[in-house]
Amino acid sequence: MSLSKESKLPRFSWLRHPKHYLFFKVFAWFWLTIIGTFTALFFLSNISLINAISHEPLQGPMAKNLEYLSRVIERSAHKHALSINDIITHPRLSKRKMLYLNSQNSDTTFISKSIDNTIDLSLLNFTKGMPPQVIFTEYYQAFGPVRVSVPQGEFELYEIDINHKRPLFIRLKLLPAWLKISIAVIASLALSFLFSRNLIAPINSLKQAAIRLSSGDLSARAAISSQRKDELGILGRDFNRMADQLEQLLSAQKRLLADISHELRSPLTRLKMATGLAQMQASEASQSYLLRIEKEANQLDKMIADVLQVSRLEANSQPLSLQTQSLQVIVDHVINDAQFEAKQHNKMLLIQGDAQVNIECDEMLIASALENILRNAIKYAQHTISITLKHSDTITIQICDDGPGVPAAQLDKLCEPFFRQSDARDRVSGGTGLGLAIAKNAVIAHGGDLALSNKDLGGLCVEVSLPIQKRNHVL
Amino acid sequence: MKLLMIDDDTGLCELLSEYLSAQGFSIQTAHDGQQGLELALQNDYALILLDVMLPSIDGFEVLKQLRQSKLTPVIMLTAKGEDFDRIFGLELGADDYIAKPFNHRELLARVKAITRRIEHINSVSNSNKKRCLNGITINFSAREASVNDTTLTLTGTEYEILALLVKHAPDVISKEQISEDVLGRRLASFDRSIDMHVSNIRKKIAEHSAGEKIKTIRGAGYVFIQGE
Repeated sequence: MSLSKESKLPRFSWLRHPKHYLFFKVFAWFWLTIIGTFTALFFLSNISLINAISHEPLQGPMAKNLEYLSRVIERSAHKHALSINDIITHPRLSKRKMLYLNSQNSDTTFISKSIDNTIDLSLLNFTKGMPPQVIFTEYYQAFGPVRVSVPQGEFELYEIDINHKRPLFIRLKLLPAWLKISIAVIASLALSFLFSRNLIAPINSLKQAAIRLSSGDLSARAAISSQRKDELGILGRDFNRMADQLEQLLSAQKRLLADISHELRSPLTRLKMATGLAQMQASEASQSYLLRIEKEANQLDKMIADVLQVSRLEANSQPLSLQTQSLQVIVDHVINDAQFEAKQHNKMLLIQGDAQVNIECDEMLIASALENILRNAIKYAQHTISITLKHSDTITIQICDDGPGVPAAQLDKLCEPFFRQSDARDRVSGGTGLGLAIAKNAVIAHGGDLALSNKDLGGLCVEVSLPIQKRNHVL
Repeated sequence: MKLLMIDDDTGLCELLSEYLSAQGFSIQTAHDGQQGLELALQNDYALILLDVMLPSIDGFEVLKQLRQSKLTPVIMLTAKGEDFDRIFGLELGADDYIAKPFNHRELLARVKAITRRIEHINSVSNSNKKRCLNGITINFSAREASVNDTTLTLTGTEYEILALLVKHAPDVISKEQISEDVLGRRLASFDRSIDMHVSNIRKKIAEHSAGEKIKTIRGAGYVFIQGE
């Protein structure tokens, strides 16, 4: 109740953390309810507990038994002229029962057994003349009074039942107040905690599974017990079924893609071979067409290779041949090729910084990632392409062009296979539309990240960050 | 010159036979691994073109069993992008590889690079040249290398690389030069073929001799150590 107010204060801001908010809300409500109930009960029971002595009318066999006992004593006193003390201390009686007789007029009392002096029987004096009843006190229960007339005078008989073990409510009452309160608080805390956790746990597990699923881990499932029959259980199982379906569809699609690409290669190999044979015999006039066929076959070959690589990387089935070496070697290699390509297009490469740092990577894959990004940059740049290399905890390679840039809404889509900015689908440059998809997946396979942004002055910036393993610092 | 092609793609085999026949080779084909292996073991081919994906037994198994008794030069036909296949093939003792779908001119160049050496040997086999260095003896005429009088079972490519390094010791030979001299092709970026071959040579030498014979010079290439 007061929680929402408190949570506005900065020091309770952790309660506001979206990760815990629902949990604490439910938890607090449960707890407050339980603690409220406990407090109410505690106060109510305290009122009745203050009066620790209570009584109720004595009825049934116990009343009859007591009545019978009084007759026995009367008879013994008259017949055998025994004193009351002798009668009640007689082993036959005192063995089983503790009897207490109180004179109606004087303060003479008799008791069949000696008792602990913590037990105060004088209380019973105040029940003189009352109908038989049960009197509950902290240390004993008394049944009586029943009138007994003996030659010594009129007496009132009580049977005393000492509490060897004090009743639970008495013991509870005797606990110190701080302990009572802490027990109530702890018990209610534990209850609320278990209760709210039981409620929140499946939601958390669903949330985590959803996050993993959306980040591409298709094997993620919510850990929901199949025993759980409530709404959350149903939701969890439905979610898992959905994930199964999704995984199946996507893996089938990827397999299909890989299979098709693979199967396409055999006829392509034959096509190239046949073209080669035709070139040997063809006339001068048809040579140019054969060259064209060869060029298109090569383009097809490149696309198949790219599709295969993307699908392999996306399915995480690309085996990385990891080797530790300086990233600069790879970068130099790629830049050398790019310089040549840029010069042909009358564009310039500007390089800043270095990547003199050892990294464990699949050099082919990293090189193809950088190559694809650079080729893309060269394609769209107007005059210059700037490459900035930095390394501290991670290596960042920023490749920017001074081209038209990309509308912000399309930045995310740029790394999707076959995405093209203009719908014109121009293939003049010989790209396959898979370059950035390969680059992104290759970088991710190395535990890095590829981010796209637009420069303020126009132009696209691709930033590749790769983690440097700790041990490589030592090398 | 007799070549053997082991590939289950019959169409490709036909086309390739026609093409290579026109270039002066005689070509025999096998469409499954078992049949190919038997042919390879029974006959002496100048070169075997071996596909990886084959019915009955795959290309790697054919190569492995072939290498137990024969050193016939082998070019593996791998699928493009399957780096693992390429490396595994070289490790098993393939002389070179070519990725499918290949260019016919490129294939011819590689076939010629490997078969040329054999022609060369046949023509100079009467001259009896030897070179002995750091416990390794190269018999150029017999195309044999031996360590402490034990003949090494090197594949053609491995022998060529070792002979090249010994011949030019103590000069450092770059990977590019090795590739061009031995495989008859330019070294592609990040191509580890030469490293694989050198690693195989080292392993074979190490079986008979403890000392380091070939040293890697980072970023430069390899050098044969002359010893004392």
